[in-house]
Amino acid sequence: MRGEPDWSRRIASKCALAAAMVFLLAPFIVVLGSSFGTASEYRVDFPPHALTLANYAAISAGYIHAASVSLLVGSIVALLASIVGLCAALGLVRGRLVGREALQSFFRLPIQIPFVVTGAVFLQFYYQFADWTGLNLLSGPLGLILAHVFVAVPYSVGAISAVLVRFDPALEEAAESLGAGRWTTFWEVTFPVIRPGVMAGLFYAFIVSFGDVPVALFLATGPWTTLPVRIFQDMQFDFRPSMLAVSALISIVSLAVILGVQKLAGLELVEPRRR
Amino acid sequence: MTTEAKLFERGVHPAARRLAARASARGGHFGIRWDWFLVPAVLISLGLLALPQGMFILLSFHADLGLGQVSLAFTIDNYVRVLTDPFYGHAFWLTLYLSVAAAGIGLLVGFPAAYALARIGGWIASSLISLILTTSLVTVVVKLMGLNLILEPTGMINRALLALHLVRNPVQMLNDQTGVLIGLVQYTLPMTIVLLFGVVQTIPVSLEEAAATLGASNATIYRKIILPNSRAGLIATGLIAFNMSMGAFTSAVLLGGGRVLTMPVLIQQTIIQNTDYAKGAALSTVLVAFVFLINLSIGAVFAARGRKAAPDAG
Repeated sequence: MRGEPDWSRRIASKCALAAAMVFLLAPFIVVLGSSFGTASEYRVDFPPHALTLANYAAISAGYIHAASVSLLVGSIVALLASIVGLCAALGLVRGRLVGREALQSFFRLPIQIPFVVTGAVFLQFYYQFADWTGLNLLSGPLGLILAHVFVAVPYSVGAISAVLVRFDPALEEAAESLGAGRWTTFWEVTFPVIRPGVMAGLFYAFIVSFGDVPVALFLATGPWTTLPVRIFQDMQFDFRPSMLAVSALISIVSLAVILGVQKLAGLELVEPRRR
Repeated sequence: MTTEAKLFERGVHPAARRLAARASARGGHFGIRWDWFLVPAVLISLGLLALPQGMFILLSFHADLGLGQVSLAFTIDNYVRVLTDPFYGHAFWLTLYLSVAAAGIGLLVGFPAAYALARIGGWIASSLISLILTTSLVTVVVKLMGLNLILEPTGMINRALLALHLVRNPVQMLNDQTGVLIGLVQYTLPMTIVLLFGVVQTIPVSLEEAAATLGASNATIYRKIILPNSRAGLIATGLIAFNMSMGAFTSAVLLGGGRVLTMPVLIQQTIIQNTDYAKGAALSTVLVAFVFLINLSIGAVFAARGRKAAPDAG
C-alpha cells in the first residue's frame, strides 16, 4: 500500500471539486452563452448558432429603471448599514461592557430569520405605522431601505469586527504620544487600517440588498420595484429573451465589481459566522 | 530607524507600555469610551427588530377578519390550525426533507471538494475560492434562470438524454421537488465549500502522511484522522446550509413552479394572495421557532459531547 498513488483522497476529491465547479458555473455559462444567441419566446438558443446582440438591444427601459432603483437602494443601504456596523464593531471589539457575547449574538439575529419572514414582518409593521402616524413608508423606497439595513447590518458588523480584532492598539498609542488628538488619531491611524473591513462591509451590505428577492417582493412596489424582483416576476409569468441579456450583464458587472473591490480595497472575503 | 524607534513602533518600549496602561485605565484606547458606540447601534438594531417582530408575533394571536383586518380578541386558533391541519403539516415535512437533503448533498460533494482545494493550496485554490464566492454573490434570480434553461424539458440535460437514447420522453425536473432540491444545493454549496475549506486547512497534511507511512489504509485515515478533526466543522456547516434552505423562497418558487409548497412559499402566499396576515404570522413564528430549536439542541448536544471528549477545550 505504501507509496501507491492515493486514489480516494487525491483523485476522488479532485473529481468532486471539478463536479462542484461545473455545477456552480453551469447556470452562468448557459445564461451568458444564450444571451448572445437567437432566442425566441419559446426556445433558447444554446450553444448559440449565430452570435447576435439582438437580446441586448431589446432590453426595455423598465429594466434599466429597475436597475437604477436597485443601485440607489443598495448604495443607501450599504452606507447606513456600515455606519451602524462600524459603531457596533467598535463597541463590541474595544468596549469593556459585560455581556458583549450576548450582544454579538443579538447583532447576528437578523440573518437567522428567513428573508420571507422579514419581508412579511416589515410589511405589516408599515401598515400599523401608517395607521399611527399617517406616514406610508411603502409609497417610496424608505420602507425597503430600512428592511434591507436590518438584514445587512450583521454582514457589516462581521466584516468590520474581523479586521478590528487584529488591529494593533500600539499604533494608536504611538500616534497619541506624538501629540495627535483623539479624532485625528481615529481618522489618520485607526480608520486607514480598518478600511478593508469597512469596504468589505459596504460591499456585502450592497450585495445583500442588490440580490434580495423575498424582502423586496413584499416592500417594493410600482416604480420602486427592484431589478431582481422584476426579473423574478417576469420569469414567473412570461419569458422574454431580453431577460437573458439583463442577467448576463448582471453576472459580468458583478464579477468585475468583485474583482475590482478585491484588487483595490484588499477586500477580505470574510463571512460572518453563526457561532 | 533606531532600535529605540523600532521598539516604540511595536509597542514594547516601556514608554509605550506606560501609555497603554494609562489609556486602558481611562477605559479604552486613548481615552475614548468605546462602549458608547454600542448605544446607537443597539438602539437602531433593536428598533428594527423588537417592535416589528413583536407586533408580528402578537398579530398571530388574533383571528383574521379578512381584508387584512384582525379581531381584538386573543386566540390561539391560528396555531391550532397551523399545527393540526395536514396541509401545513405536509408543507412543513416537505421543507424539512428538502433542507436536510440539500445540506446532506452539500456536505457529500462539498467536503471532498473543500479537501481537494485545501490540499491543492496556493494561487489555484485561492482563485477557485474567489470564483466560488463570486457565484454565491450574484443575485439568485440569474442562477435560477440558468438552472431553468438547463433543466427544462427542452433544456440541455434532456436534449443530451434524448440524443443518447437514454430516455424516450423528457425527464420532468422543473415544477417538481427535484428541481427545488437542485436549486437549494446550488444556493448553499458555495457557502458549504468555503466554510469546509477553512476546516480542512486546520488539519495538518503531515498527520495524514505520518499515518500513511505507518501503514494506515485510506479508510483508516478517513476514520481516524480526517473525520474526527472535521466533525465540528461538518456539523456547523451542515447546520448553516440547513438554515439557509429552510428559509429559501426564490429557488422554491422559480424551480417549483408554484407546485412545491414549502413553508417560505406558503408564508408568502398566505400573506400576499390570501391576505391572511394572522395565519401568515403564525406560520412564520412556527418556522422560525423550529429552526431556532434545532440549532439550539444540536449546539447543546454538541457542546456536551465536546466537553466530554476534550475537557480542556474551550
